[in-house]
Amino acid sequence: MAVANAALAMVGGIGVTMLQRQRNQLYSFMAKNPLGHALLRSRRDFSARSSSSLLPPDVSRLAETARIALTPDEVEEFAPKIGQVIDWFGQLQAIDLQNVDPALRADAESNNLREDLPETFDNRESLLAAVPTYEKPYIKVPKVLNKD
Amino acid sequence: MLSAAAQNPRPLLQRGGRKFNLQKCRRSRHFYHSVQAVSSFYPQSETLSSPSSSSEILTIRKSLLSRERKAVEIAQNYLNRLRSTEPQIRSFLHISQNVMSEAEQIDRKIERNEELGPLAGVLIGVKDNICTVDMPSTGGSRILENYRPTFDATAVRKLRECGAIIVGKTNMDEFGMGSTTENSGFQVTANPWNAERVPGGSSGGSAAAVSARQCVASLGSDTGGSVRQPAAFCGVVGMKPTYGRVSRYGLMAYASSLDVIGCFGSSVADAAILLEAIAGHDRFDATSSKREVPEFTSQLEAAEFLDSKPLKGLRVGVISETLGDGVDSGIVSSIQAAASHLEELGCTVKEVNMPSFSLGLPAYYILASCESSSNLSRYDGIRYGNQIAAEELTSLYGACRANGFGSEVKMRILMGTYALSAGYYDAYYKRAQQVRTLVQKNLKATLTENDVLISPAAPSPAYRMGEKKNDPLAMYAGDIMTVNVNLAGIPALVVPCGFSEVGPSGLPIGLQIIGAAFDEAKLFKVGHIFERTLQRCRFVPPLVDKDV
Repeated sequence: MAVANAALAMVGGIGVTMLQRQRNQLYSFMAKNPLGHALLRSRRDFSARSSSSLLPPDVSRLAETARIALTPDEVEEFAPKIGQVIDWFGQLQAIDLQNVDPALRADAESNNLREDLPETFDNRESLLAAVPTYEKPYIKVPKVLNKD
Repeated sequence: MLSAAAQNPRPLLQRGGRKFNLQKCRRSRHFYHSVQAVSSFYPQSETLSSPSSSSEILTIRKSLLSRERKAVEIAQNYLNRLRSTEPQIRSFLHISQNVMSEAEQIDRKIERNEELGPLAGVLIGVKDNICTVDMPSTGGSRILENYRPTFDATAVRKLRECGAIIVGKTNMDEFGMGSTTENSGFQVTANPWNAERVPGGSSGGSAAAVSARQCVASLGSDTGGSVRQPAAFCGVVGMKPTYGRVSRYGLMAYASSLDVIGCFGSSVADAAILLEAIAGHDRFDATSSKREVPEFTSQLEAAEFLDSKPLKGLRVGVISETLGDGVDSGIVSSIQAAASHLEELGCTVKEVNMPSFSLGLPAYYILASCESSSNLSRYDGIRYGNQIAAEELTSLYGACRANGFGSEVKMRILMGTYALSAGYYDAYYKRAQQVRTLVQKNLKATLTENDVLISPAAPSPAYRMGEKKNDPLAMYAGDIMTVNVNLAGIPALVVPCGFSEVGPSGLPIGLQIIGAAFDEAKLFKVGHIFERTLQRCRFVPPLVDKDV
């Protein structure tokens, strides 16, 4: 998703320090209180996104990206809920994580990889039997249109 | 019934609020006695031959080996109870047609004096996101309605090799996303203790089935608490092993960096026997550990010879952040009573702080949403599952997924898609992974100074049905006690430790015991001694108590 830096530029022009201070206060509260989102509900303007390059979720576009055909009713129902959760995610922006390495997963062992060799799956017929539209020897799909 | 704080969990863990006070806990032994008072309310069944915490698996084995009972009688007994309770509980999505014939085979083996596997004749329920070749496996999703896998999950294969009878597939929140089992695409499961309450989730069917004695034990999966929270809500034992202890081959992926298959039993011993059966390296799961699997159960038998201080010298840390504001008062007093109980058993109990505790919840939900949006992209309606006809391929994908997924799954995929969008990765996924590092370090350090940590398994007893349905954040808040354990990949055991109130309306409460990576043996030992010495607490729901 291409995101312009317009929001950042806009905020940059008006009283950054004051906004910054308010936001910091808010986030220091949120960091202490993970469920403090209730406070933010009516004050979406103060979420981390508004001052950075992060735009609010556009549910219709997200659904297109995720290949889920939502009804207009679903878009209306999901948008506030998703917005609320994304705002709540935003509390992590306030924590100092400099010099902290990201952990890809649990602190588990590695080097258990087997050799990358093809093997024959012995229940091949049942795999094919599960295909909804199958015309031997092809798995059939409708035409592929390239929108670009 | 529930305190105001439990109804509104928002102020949970606010600093400066009510804090857990160990001194107060030491003084107030009445908590422990109140637990006894609760359980004495339940009339002891006359047919009762053993306390609810004795191993049903070992009892079955003994009676088969001594030829006191036949496997078909045992199986029939469970099937009868399953049929009579299922209309109220609705824990199963599929029930095997082969239970009686498999039991007959076991009886023939006994007649021929052949060796019996450790789980011979034991009826086990399997969560529906774990693949079984002889039964549909839907993961609780309409998109996989009637889907039949072409192979058994490694955990299921191992159970069968041990002689277990897979009785059926248990209900769950769709693909594991939920904490109440209300997000199943098929049916809502009731809590056996109170039909108006949820069994917890996402492994709600597996927990309810063991609680209602519809099967002996069951498999679940735990990504953020999905074994431990329903175990607590249903009054059964739940084990979430170390990440990598059990192969995930054949487990439908939700969040691969967190997912682990776990076990339910009506006793710690049963959960230990089950884990011993399914654990170990598997060439089909590169993240499964090559570490040797200890004989969990032999260590438990030794613990039967209890002296007065069987846990002498064990260092127990009570995570103070888990007993703050927003946690139901009945939960706090039960955990304090459990801490006193452990002290009486010889443990050194002290309060510990976990500064990163509150950060785990948002970090967990970011990671889980992101990974699920990627993992669930495989459900496209082309190779398996329900297909909706369309003119063009992209519309076919869109229609299949719109038709097959429920609301919660759609929303999580969209949240994950958002957080993984180009340019957003650093702000969400990467930061959440950095928080995971903090949580891992924090827990590791705390577990070098303590042998085990304890906390509640959930901030309240079982919710009312529908209570959290339209407020995702209220639902997520209920996972605060369990998610950090998944982020760190360490094991945790939940053991029932009390009831929310005296009387027949009391709901079970679970104690979470957290250990270092691959230290499940210690958790089983502590849990086993804890449950065997918990006086007159009987965790059999009134619904089936006369019958057990």
